Amino acid sequence: MRKLLAGLLLVSALAGTVWAFQRGVRSIFRDDDYDPAPPPGHAEHTEFYFARLRYQMVGFGGGSVWRMRGGWTTDYPKADRTLLKGIRRLTRIQANPMERVVDLISDDIYNYPFVYVVEAGHWELPDAQAKKLREFTDRGGFLMTDDFHGTFEWEVFTTSLNKGFGDRTINDIDDADPIFHVLYDLTSRFQVPGLVNFPFDKTYEYDGFEPKWRAVRDDRGRIVVGICHNMDLGDAYEWADHPRYPEKYASQAYRTAINYIIYAMTH
Amino acid sequence: MFQFFFNYPLAVYRKGTLVLASGWPVWVLGLLALVAAAVVTWLMLGKNFPRPRMLALGALQWAALALLLVLLWQPALSVSALKPQQNVVAVVVDTSASMALENRIGEAKGLLDGGLLSRLQAKFPVRLYQGGRALARAGQVPAKADQPVTQLRDILTAATAESATLPIGAIVLLSDGADNAGGLDSDIMDSLRRTLIPIHTIGFGTETIRNDVEITDALLPSRSLPDARLAATVTLRQSGFAGQLATITLKDGNTTLASRAVKLPGDGQTLREVVEFQAGPAGAKPLRVAVEPLEGETNPANNALTRLVHVEDRKPRILYIEGEPRWELKFIRRAAELDKNLELASILRTTENKFYRQGIGDPKELEHGFPDSIDELFRYEGIIIGNVEAGYFDARQQALIKEFVDRRGGGVLFLGGRAALSEGGWNSTGLAEMLPLVLPDRKLTFHREPATVELTAGGRDSLLARIESDPQKNAARWLSLPYLADYQEAGAPKPGASVLAELKTGAGKRSPFLVTHNYGRGRVAVLASGGTWRWQMAQDHRDMSHEVFWQQLLRWLAGETGGRVSAVSSKTVFEDDPRIPLRAEVRDRNYLPASDAVVTAHVMGPEGVADEVTLRPVDNAPGSYAAEWKADKPGSYLVETTARQGGAELGRNVLTFRREDGVAENFRTEQNRELLERIAQQTGGRYWKPSQAAALAAEIEYSDAGISVKETHAIWNAPAAFLLLAALKAAEWLLRRKWGAV
Repeated sequence: MRKLLAGLLLVSALAGTVWAFQRGVRSIFRDDDYDPAPPPGHAEHTEFYFARLRYQMVGFGGGSVWRMRGGWTTDYPKADRTLLKGIRRLTRIQANPMERVVDLISDDIYNYPFVYVVEAGHWELPDAQAKKLREFTDRGGFLMTDDFHGTFEWEVFTTSLNKGFGDRTINDIDDADPIFHVLYDLTSRFQVPGLVNFPFDKTYEYDGFEPKWRAVRDDRGRIVVGICHNMDLGDAYEWADHPRYPEKYASQAYRTAINYIIYAMTH
Repeated sequence: MFQFFFNYPLAVYRKGTLVLASGWPVWVLGLLALVAAAVVTWLMLGKNFPRPRMLALGALQWAALALLLVLLWQPALSVSALKPQQNVVAVVVDTSASMALENRIGEAKGLLDGGLLSRLQAKFPVRLYQGGRALARAGQVPAKADQPVTQLRDILTAATAESATLPIGAIVLLSDGADNAGGLDSDIMDSLRRTLIPIHTIGFGTETIRNDVEITDALLPSRSLPDARLAATVTLRQSGFAGQLATITLKDGNTTLASRAVKLPGDGQTLREVVEFQAGPAGAKPLRVAVEPLEGETNPANNALTRLVHVEDRKPRILYIEGEPRWELKFIRRAAELDKNLELASILRTTENKFYRQGIGDPKELEHGFPDSIDELFRYEGIIIGNVEAGYFDARQQALIKEFVDRRGGGVLFLGGRAALSEGGWNSTGLAEMLPLVLPDRKLTFHREPATVELTAGGRDSLLARIESDPQKNAARWLSLPYLADYQEAGAPKPGASVLAELKTGAGKRSPFLVTHNYGRGRVAVLASGGTWRWQMAQDHRDMSHEVFWQQLLRWLAGETGGRVSAVSSKTVFEDDPRIPLRAEVRDRNYLPASDAVVTAHVMGPEGVADEVTLRPVDNAPGSYAAEWKADKPGSYLVETTARQGGAELGRNVLTFRREDGVAENFRTEQNRELLERIAQQTGGRYWKPSQAAALAAEIEYSDAGISVKETHAIWNAPAAFLLLAALKAAEWLLRRKWGAV
């Protein structure tokens, strides 16, 4: 009983701290992520759709702590739609203003050669889904990951990824790689923080001190999984037009996303 | 028998012209015939006969009177006759290898030695010749047929040329007519006819093949890109094996490139079969097309042919411009990257004022966007215009695109898209005339809706649309392809355009999907979609449909685009003929015909053969140069043609050909009676079967050639004339008896 009480106190203290922090941040970043109303023009058939991957979350001691941190719906759908506005304004890509949600259960994913996955450090892909993800990239699909941090989430991420890509290595992307130059030259990059870092005096989470741009490549050296680790581009998309979110982070996030998308459409 | 009734042999009647020897006017004969008719009519009208009987009896009476009148005018035959022992008869025996088949040479020797020669010699001096590749005197009737070639053209030309020094009265040719050096064209026939020497031909050998399968032709492209998918069109005929299965193989040395089982057609019929194969790596390749010999075949030597394919060591370069990021660009690039013999440079408009280049050879390439000069654009062999509106190109660039096809001989492919074809205003530009379709004169032609694709009859035959080797499997494969992500209504095909595949929309509407045609020296195609990428994403990654389709389309687009120098010859295999016509089309730096170039061909052949030939300008053909070179040794030859203008090299091109001796003699071995009859008929001679040739000596006597005299032979006193007169009167008498009118 004593242990139970001690545990409850600890959880209450943690939850209170998180709530207090959230309340402080939310008082500044007031908008809600979720807006059920589809944007105008969403029914139009277009060349490009921003597809977000829906995945099963990893369990951890009952799963409650990690589930709190977020999942595939993180920043959904405001980050997607705000980013799409930028893509439509800044490039010649005919992009649909509304995201699409895909999973690795149905074959619908093959209609969307670019797929974005957020909080990939929390996913748990069954073997069949991991193999389907590999088949997706083998056919020519491109996966972009974002918003997972530190050693532990990296381990979770690669555990599932390796079920499908065990024969591939993950390497840092060289500054000269076309993915950093296909539209914007992104040789000087920095860590893009999430809202959790407000007021941004530090930009990392957990032990993810260094931002990492990594990749899994195919037989011909083309990037098929673009891994953005130790950064939170999703928050930068979402809050790009907020006066309290630093412009330099939003700019790099948009440039990165656009470069990744154009790279996916050309390589 | 004929001579008994008609006084003279049939030859006199065949050669002679009818004359009336009495010298009386012919009009008097006609007048008297009319008077006779009137008298007979007057006499008959006085009789009480039924009209049909009266007409029959009257006709018989008039015919007898008319015949009598004709005989009074003394009909005769005027004919030219050779003076005995003053004219030479040339007897030419074909000693080519095909005469050894069925012991044809033995039969010819038997015929001559068995009496024909002595009968001829009784009337004329006889000169004996033998001939295969060329004509040669023979001391006695040849008994062997081992010449590797039959060149009747040269043999007969040489025999008639003897008339310059000899009074040749006639030529007797003993042959199977199996000429294998190109036959006798109308010019040769004219020159033979002008000598006035009748050529009598005696044909040997059966006129139809028996128990044999023969490859009559094999058509293969003379040039190719490495690893290209090629087609060999094999034609074969057979006798005695109808309905049986045979196997066509295509080999490069000991490597089998393709094999196909075929069901043989009916006797005497031909079968045309297309066998596909991969060209393989670069080099000049003698490919052997063969039908495996069947049990009981009489002549297995005609079961194989060799053809030369020059697989060029070059990588055509294609320029692809895309107006906005599209999945189609990515997947076309991926398909092209798998083809190591293609290079694809692309320009993608990523934003309004920026473009992204891929596949460039150096940083300067395409640095200012789509080329606006000949030097820059004409370095490519093909162009793909993606989702780009016509207005993006200025007037000069549009003119260059047109000249790229018309003058350069390049290929241009237009893709569908929301800013392509009619949506991009291409229907209102000067380039519309070079498109294979009449684009719709309206907007809203592009639809992001699913559409499936189906091959047309033309597409089923085309290698361009061949994903599977087997045509039936290929058609089924196309039907099973995933739907396209989008499609565009591209309008109506122009006359002469080939619609290879059609779109089928969800509403059941059909419209052209892939259309090609030739324009000027080049090619233009429209692919009315920007959504073939689904063929890749919606199928297992091991499926190669998308890659194979695009690689073939890109190779078609650029593979046939020539350089500034294009060297050609009339054939790739020269059988038994050493004369090789060399020709080159030369263009200057702007791809206009170059009339002042120095064109040389460096020839390399078997056993160290090496020569340099200068090609001369061809009259009235600007930019064309030609020469003839003799390739005496059989084997494979390589000719590198170089053109220079003002000291600078314009370009070079490699041509390959093969020389063979004695191979063609094994083909078309049955008697070519049609050719022998034609030679005889055109020269005033006659075609003879060996069994009828005994009458040849008498026939030869009458000829305009050599030393001849004009003879007149009376025929009014021929027994046949009197028998006819008696028969007319007897018929009249018998009818009168029967009808009681005596």
